[in-house]
Amino acid sequence: MNNRASRRISYSRRGHAVEREWRQKHNQGQWREAQETIEEEKKQDPVPRGTCLCMCPARELQRREAQNLLHRFEVLAGSEKDRRPRADPLRVVKEYARPAAGKDSTRPTDLRPPAVLLKTVCYLIDNIATSPTLQPWIDVYDFVFDRLRSVRQDMIIQRVSGPDCVAILERIVRFLIYASYRLCGEPLRLYDPRINDIHLQESLSWLLECYTRGQHPNQEEFQALSLLYNLGSGRATQHTMELPERIRSSSVVCLALSLSRAFMERNPVRLLRLARKLDFLQSCALHRHLQACRRDLLLIYSHGHSSRNCHFPLHKLADLLALDVRLTTCLCQAYGVVIIRDAVVFSKTSFTEPDVGRLQCPNFHELVENKQSGLTIGGIIHGCA
Amino acid sequence: MAHITINQYLQQVYEAIDNHDGSFCAELLSFKHAHVANPRLQLSSPEEKCQQVLEVPYDEMVAAHLRCTYAVSNHDFVEAYKCQTLVVQYPYSVAQPFSLLSRALPVMFAVTLDLRIFANNAEQQLLKKGKGKQGDMLEKAAELLMGCFRVCASDNRAGIDDSKKWGMLFLINQLFKIYFKINKLHLCKPLIRAIDSSNLKDDYSMAQRVTYKYYVGRKAMFDSDYKPAEEYLSFSFQHCHRSSQRNKRMILIYLLPVKMLLGHMPSHQLLRKYDLMQFADVTKAVSEGNLLLLNEALAKHETFFIRCGIFLILEKLKIITYRNLFKKVYQLLKTHQLPLDAFLVALKMMQVDEVDIDEVQCILNYTDGKYMHKANPFPPLSSSS
Repeated sequence: MNNRASRRISYSRRGHAVEREWRQKHNQGQWREAQETIEEEKKQDPVPRGTCLCMCPARELQRREAQNLLHRFEVLAGSEKDRRPRADPLRVVKEYARPAAGKDSTRPTDLRPPAVLLKTVCYLIDNIATSPTLQPWIDVYDFVFDRLRSVRQDMIIQRVSGPDCVAILERIVRFLIYASYRLCGEPLRLYDPRINDIHLQESLSWLLECYTRGQHPNQEEFQALSLLYNLGSGRATQHTMELPERIRSSSVVCLALSLSRAFMERNPVRLLRLARKLDFLQSCALHRHLQACRRDLLLIYSHGHSSRNCHFPLHKLADLLALDVRLTTCLCQAYGVVIIRDAVVFSKTSFTEPDVGRLQCPNFHELVENKQSGLTIGGIIHGCA
Repeated sequence: MAHITINQYLQQVYEAIDNHDGSFCAELLSFKHAHVANPRLQLSSPEEKCQQVLEVPYDEMVAAHLRCTYAVSNHDFVEAYKCQTLVVQYPYSVAQPFSLLSRALPVMFAVTLDLRIFANNAEQQLLKKGKGKQGDMLEKAAELLMGCFRVCASDNRAGIDDSKKWGMLFLINQLFKIYFKINKLHLCKPLIRAIDSSNLKDDYSMAQRVTYKYYVGRKAMFDSDYKPAEEYLSFSFQHCHRSSQRNKRMILIYLLPVKMLLGHMPSHQLLRKYDLMQFADVTKAVSEGNLLLLNEALAKHETFFIRCGIFLILEKLKIITYRNLFKKVYQLLKTHQLPLDAFLVALKMMQVDEVDIDEVQCILNYTDGKYMHKANPFPPLSSSS
């Protein structure tokens, strides 16, 4: 830049010459240094590009095999019972590792490029998540969840974006939504819905952010899923309202918006009616809101139809709740709603909140379950169901 | 100003600093001032000239400012933004007699305002080229502004007249504008807390307070705190200067929905005066209980309402509209126990799609219609909301 050496003395005469000169040199130096460091850093910090063409970098495979840290889904068939099982290079997948000070997570040989990441995700879905032989599914979920987290980490380090990123994230989101339904009700020590939720929300926001640039064929599907999963959230609703006309007026987003409106207007009858029109994955996304919805319906009807000679037909209530008669009876009992023979006697005094834990959500998964028939999990997650 | 030479300009800057004339110095560094259009000042490397006349650190600061004018003259807002970040970071980290005083605050106001504007322009430029992410540059600008804010907030000098705390509200308003633009409203909370706990809060200039209350009111709206939102926005509207029609209109856009939700409808004169006739049909529909008109009005001006972020709040007016509709039914039938069918007929007349008797129950509950069994079925709005 400028030649500072031949600096002429400034015309300002105030202050002590010596002090001023010292300050000038000191501040100049600092300022100059700061500028130079920034420029250097920029040159040295290009985006890392992975070169590992396998699902797991060789270094990690050897390390984990030597230290007996392979997962049972990764060992060579026949060597499971050995003292130190052998790794099957076609089945070992890079695991998630927390970034740590001093650890270099940007070595190209340890990073998988986007094409390999997509292949890894497909392997995890086709060979692990949907495998009929690997049991129990909670273990399958743990393994896939961790390995998908590592895939996301590789994507972040390499700042992957665009169609590659979208293809991977879409599958991750579908998997996590499906898991939130399938593992609903499992004991907390085995499955924590909050952790699944955190990762699902992260992946969803990233995906929706990718959608803001370029054209993506599945965008409507995921905008709808996002709204359904986050039903009631002002932010999610406002985001959906601000989508371009073409996407907002697509049938799938319209349906999601109608459901959202029914939820905001506290109209559980309409919500449950509309919920019947959702497909399987959409129902999975919605399902965690259904319990509150059904509770609202029973509460509203307990107050609205409250009378001593109330004779509300049980089968009609079952229809409104989108449950069969047996489950409706169960639900009513839990909420203190009285049933005599095949009529419901609503009364605002008898409605009570059930004890915590009394109502098990999975018992009421009927609405969602029925939509699954004829679909394969693989098809659902890849989006070709 | 538009014709002076570089030396004359620098001499003026020097004198302004020497005389601690904050306002004049601010003008000489502000893009609102005519000097920025002067080609003699638009230099790509003014450092040597600046060093000859000015002391450290002002030489660097002014040099960056002049480089900025050069960049702006070339319509390169990305470069302008980079230069402006240098201008902003300088004045307060150095213990110069001028910058210690609150008289230097106008300079800070001018340069931070320009920073925000350039960040905006730079982002638009990048997005047009397909680079950069929405909100990135603004977030970085916000970080710099937070730096200035911290310097002001932590100024614990004894003399309140000289304290930099007087700069806090201006900076907060700038930060609000950014946070609203990038849609990260939760970042406003600590700033609001800082002002609430400050004992200067009622002594800032009215203009600054009006802007502050406008944003806090909007945030309250977003958080569904309608009563405080009404207070803030009303204050803002009443105290906004008569001549700022545009600002008054902007405040009104947010004040109207809040007032309507609390049951106060605006007059036609008011709407006409501020060119807000989009609200005319909405108001008419709500007071008459005319759901059909309400839906039509919302659809007709949908783009406007969504862009302002008030569409979802206006939808909440449906509950009041239902209520007014049902009130009419009650007045017509003049009985205490109204058959559900009567409401159903009313709703069908309003062309509310696919409503059936089951949903009516939910809608009634939503509008507190359950009071209909008591003597006064429709208590006044503000008391029950």
